[in-house]
Amino acid sequence: MGIQQSGRGTSMGALSPMKTFALTFMATLIIVSSGFSQSSFEERRLRLLKVASGERERSFQTVAAKTLLGADTSYALVMLDSLSHDEAIGGMFYSYSLIGCYLHVRHLLPDSLHRKVRDAYRLRTMYRGDTENHWVMYYTGLYLAAQTWPSDGGRQWFNGKSSSENFREAEEWLRTWFTISSTIGQGEFDSPTYITTFVPPMLVLYDFAADSTMKKYAGMMLDLLLADFAFEHLKGNYGGGHSRDYPEDIINPLAAPSTLWAWLYFGEPEFAPWNETRYRPRHRGGWDPVYGALSTYRLPEIIVNIATDRATPYVHTETKRVRNVIRFGDQKNPPVFKYSYVTQDYVLGSLHGGILQPIQQHTWDVTYVSDKPNNTLFTLHPYYSGEELAMFFPEEKKFLADEVDRYHKVYTNPNKWNSSSPDEQTFQHRNAILVLYDIKPDSKHKHIDGFFSKNLDVMNQDRSGWILCKAGDTYIAFYSLRNFKLIEEEVNWRWRSHEPRNGVVVEIGSRAEDGSFERFQNRMVALKPALIISGHSVMLRHKTRFGDTMEFVFDGRRILNGKIIDFKEYRFFNGPFAESDLGSGIITLKYGNTRRVLNFNDASTRDYTVE
Amino acid sequence: MPQPQPAGIYAAVYITSESTGVGGLSKIGLFRRIEGDSAWVNLRPNTITPGMGFSNNGVRQQLYLAGGNGLHRSTDWGATWKVLTGWQTKEVLSVAIHPVNPGILYISTPFGVFKSEDGGAQWREAMKGFRTWYVRQVKIDADQHDWLYATGEDALYATRDGGESWTAMSVGVPGIKTLFQHPVDRNILLVGTEDHGVRYSVDRGKTWLVPEGLASSAVYAIASTRDGSQIYAGGFRTGLWRSGDRGRSWTHVWPADEIEAIYAIFVHPKNSAHMLVGTNGKGVFDSVDGGYTWRQAGLPFAHVKEIQRYP
Repeated sequence: MGIQQSGRGTSMGALSPMKTFALTFMATLIIVSSGFSQSSFEERRLRLLKVASGERERSFQTVAAKTLLGADTSYALVMLDSLSHDEAIGGMFYSYSLIGCYLHVRHLLPDSLHRKVRDAYRLRTMYRGDTENHWVMYYTGLYLAAQTWPSDGGRQWFNGKSSSENFREAEEWLRTWFTISSTIGQGEFDSPTYITTFVPPMLVLYDFAADSTMKKYAGMMLDLLLADFAFEHLKGNYGGGHSRDYPEDIINPLAAPSTLWAWLYFGEPEFAPWNETRYRPRHRGGWDPVYGALSTYRLPEIIVNIATDRATPYVHTETKRVRNVIRFGDQKNPPVFKYSYVTQDYVLGSLHGGILQPIQQHTWDVTYVSDKPNNTLFTLHPYYSGEELAMFFPEEKKFLADEVDRYHKVYTNPNKWNSSSPDEQTFQHRNAILVLYDIKPDSKHKHIDGFFSKNLDVMNQDRSGWILCKAGDTYIAFYSLRNFKLIEEEVNWRWRSHEPRNGVVVEIGSRAEDGSFERFQNRMVALKPALIISGHSVMLRHKTRFGDTMEFVFDGRRILNGKIIDFKEYRFFNGPFAESDLGSGIITLKYGNTRRVLNFNDASTRDYTVE
Repeated sequence: MPQPQPAGIYAAVYITSESTGVGGLSKIGLFRRIEGDSAWVNLRPNTITPGMGFSNNGVRQQLYLAGGNGLHRSTDWGATWKVLTGWQTKEVLSVAIHPVNPGILYISTPFGVFKSEDGGAQWREAMKGFRTWYVRQVKIDADQHDWLYATGEDALYATRDGGESWTAMSVGVPGIKTLFQHPVDRNILLVGTEDHGVRYSVDRGKTWLVPEGLASSAVYAIASTRDGSQIYAGGFRTGLWRSGDRGRSWTHVWPADEIEAIYAIFVHPKNSAHMLVGTNGKGVFDSVDGGYTWRQAGLPFAHVKEIQRYP
């Protein structure tokens, strides 16, 4: 494959195409707006561009929207000028979003800005960072920048490498990432926040990679990233366990950056996120979907259907991988086992437990459809330790926790809402989950917390020990095996147990599954889970309202109806909408009788129907 | 064009407690202070810098920076840089340059030791014999340049064939953080450990002994006067310790209550009463009386991982 020379516009010549594009766009917008009552992708993307073009926030995405729409263009050029020589910013976010913006608008730029953008890759340190999303952004930016200026020597680049050296290194790593992500999974998997750091780089790579194979891979990664979201998507919510997420998004799922992506590509939620103040995307990732709105990439219809058809409840399982382990482990990327149960009303999802990601892990929750915020319920052990961090970061473990606290403000906080803990494990079967806690004496925080939204329609503590909740058409039954208390907070009740060896049982129901809430309650209060503590062993036994017997030993076996659950049987993806064998690099998406096969071994896709 | 000024004291700044988030990286990198001056100049901003190295052999003097995004080299003392490593090596925690053949380079990383024999153009993993990946430091023996030591999480590793194969030495404790070789009696090796203070060997690592004092804390840095008569050590909440008998016994010199950890110790080769320490989050401290009294000497908030002087 070759590196192609970019074209350049001139300041005089730029005005004409800019006006032409803006007029064409506005005409399209008028036609689209008047022609559809139902929101379509085309309508949504144009609407997003129009709104983003009116934003005053300084970002490459708003620059691109303004410039291409001819809206407030002079201000956009001032913003781009400022962004391209602001020495206070740099790094991997800058690297990919600068080149993405530049390649979208370069035909409209004056010469002076061409030079400034080019100089940014010489003068600014495009720091590579240390996480998966950092590297995706860094190497995507480097790949496209090296492709854009293909003949420059090392002195023209921030890292002293020539264009061809940078291009080759970026290509190698991106190809490696495609392989890893399609065979053993992402380390930063299923993140409502970090999806917005993976999708936009792939969009600009898809739009601007000159090499057809790289473009194909970028499109396939977009299919994979968005399908991975679609499997656990419900009305804009990213359900299931998450590798990384921020507390604000965990307790208010539709506040996450993923919501705007869901709106753009899946058409859900039905409201435009930026119009809803309670769901307004925070600064982080706010306008990244502009790159989706500008892209020529189109999400295959099969993925839209997978994301939105919730007529039949289903179980979906996945295998992911732990982030790179550098210390205190004998595997670099141990597997993560993920289980989700998805209905039209809720998603109950879980990771198998333990330390799978540092700092921001969200191990399990039920997220339900609601017209109110804070539509979720979960428990966690707020764990922190230098050992946990030293597994993943090269700094000294004695003070890593304090260092991380400076960046992720709540890491050592006893009230935090995100955490990975070696003292927490789960066992899920369909709409029932058992969560066991065995908090060791050396754990800094020795309590367990749970989140109960104040927006629940009903929250009753029954004499039987069950806490019975109703939220719209979703019913929740929660049982703590040991003592607890409820603490009132601003938007929630904090369930807190100071019992270091405890377990909770949660069953989820709905109008569709149980009929009335009263019937659900009657079924649940008749059940009595058992916690058996014997020596070093902590065991939980429960028979669900549907008669399934679940038995779960901490650090031991999970038994369902007498059969031991063997995680070795987990496939890469397995469910009604997808199947893939671990390590195969081949993912088959399924909807009705349609199929789409992503084969990362030879960068091919195949669409077909079955009888 | 002014000639580059190589002489001075160099400090490797890993991170700064002042910065917040990815955008706050401008106060990290490799800093140089001209002797007699108080100002530190950043030669490579925005680069997480755990370590450094110098090559003074041959026609071209070279400055190396072990960085969070690879091994950087400058042949003009920081005016321009080139990253020598690719994506396979990830973070570089330390660099060792062969003293006779500067084309031979070793780096330690969270995923092991890598070696280049062509000045950094190509790298290969040199991890045969290691049981764990993380290697904080790699150092070349002062006499035998095919002998190297690497501080691993589970052991101190040694090679006698230029990194082709490694053997775990029986220090007796895990979490080896730093290695020191005596400048005069090269058979004396000392290591700083995660939770067991200092251990010392008088037979180049065959057997290891527990010293008197400083035997139960985290020690990250060991350095000595040029003649090795005084050895200093420091680490996590240890303050500064000194040994006048080649590591056998230690006495407390400076409690350093305001400092959480000492990462780096520098003793001026021409004036052993002049010392610097690098700290985590408090920058550089300076003493001119052999370590009894100290004052803050710049780079406030910096986590200073290594301090060296050139030439």
